Amino acid sequence: MRLPPIYYHWFREPLPYMQGLRLQESVHRHQLLERKTTGDHRDYLFFLEHRPVYTFGRRQGNDSEEAMEMMRLRATGADVVLTLRGGQTTFHGPGQIVGYPLLDLGRTSPPMGIRDYICRMQKLLKAHLAEEHDIQPVPSEHTGVFLDEHTKVASIGVQVRHRLTTHGFALNVTAEPLSWFNKVVACGLEDVKAGCIANAVKPDVSPDSISVSKEIPGLVARFGRLYEREMLPLDIAELGQVEDVVREAEYVSRTQGPWHRTPVF
Amino acid sequence: MPAMMFAAIRHASRSGTSALRAAPRVAPVARGFRPTPFNRTLITKKYTEDHEAVIYDDQTKIGTVTITDYAQSSLGDVVYVELPQTGTEIEKGDQIGAVESVKAASDIFAPVSGTVEQINETLNDQPGLLNKSPEEKGWLCKIKVSNPSELDELMTEEEYKKHCESDH
Repeated sequence: MRLPPIYYHWFREPLPYMQGLRLQESVHRHQLLERKTTGDHRDYLFFLEHRPVYTFGRRQGNDSEEAMEMMRLRATGADVVLTLRGGQTTFHGPGQIVGYPLLDLGRTSPPMGIRDYICRMQKLLKAHLAEEHDIQPVPSEHTGVFLDEHTKVASIGVQVRHRLTTHGFALNVTAEPLSWFNKVVACGLEDVKAGCIANAVKPDVSPDSISVSKEIPGLVARFGRLYEREMLPLDIAELGQVEDVVREAEYVSRTQGPWHRTPVF
Repeated sequence: MPAMMFAAIRHASRSGTSALRAAPRVAPVARGFRPTPFNRTLITKKYTEDHEAVIYDDQTKIGTVTITDYAQSSLGDVVYVELPQTGTEIEKGDQIGAVESVKAASDIFAPVSGTVEQINETLNDQPGLLNKSPEEKGWLCKIKVSNPSELDELMTEEEYKKHCESDH
């Protein structure tokens, strides 16, 4: 059976994390309802940058040490949010591409397992680095993508409810996120620092030529390839609940003003 | 142990695949005993589309909630299990916890309504039990079922097997 296309959208301005969460929750609820009522629900993929934010994973936030850590991080000027995704502490901010695939893993029979879903995501990121930038990531026992044993360039953390996915992946493109990452032990890995594409490209490539916007077309195409789906741009001028929440998020992102380029404290 | 001696199970005779193995308390009915209607326990195992199972004991009205072997195999290694609070009243379909495998948190939904009587605290230290023994030692919680007729809406083992093959 031929699977329907995935509709993708790229937000040009950095989105507050909570706005991104609201967007995902709205689309998730919509998919769940449409699947139940009409059986005609769409899959989506959103690309965006967030305004600076530290997020914590589902198993965190239960002890006082983590509560202190969250207080400490607020002083940096970033938002701090406890989420329901897998994985542990991470940072999102301008200069990093976040991808939120909102997919129904039950479209194929048998359905795509969660492990398989994560594995394809990792392959997508590795293929992108290799093909687009001639960067060869190293194998690691940890999930995510590593430039060397101690440098992580991309992270993965997802949530699955009723086989519908939320959250996704984050890929550091420019060096802007790095000083923020230095404030935390990301993903629970003590001896790992964050890297980015701009610092890893070949000597003949200027780091200044690397930008988030240039990464999007390649990521879209590879997403389609790895998940074996056709990718179509979402027409946000159309009528529809998902289009509405996307337009709302677009509007909010354009009215936020400047963000802190580096941690304040 | 008399209750166990007379234990019967609706689908004890089906295939012995480990994925759908019946609960350990099931013992063959001993010959020569005449089951009396007063202490006969009927253990039923039912499944949800989201790969939760509930093992229901109609004498105690306790439903033991697990994820299925199929679910654990699709998740990969479980690193953390989030369980509900004992004493919580839940409605069928409520989110009652989550299973975190590598980088993915999957929500668990209540297959039946009732009150959480007990949770499997062993999972706090040994989340891997969910991979090793998802439908037995890796049980998640025991629910005092408030509306046993809800079990009729869930899938039988046979229906669940078909569901896993096609998922539609």
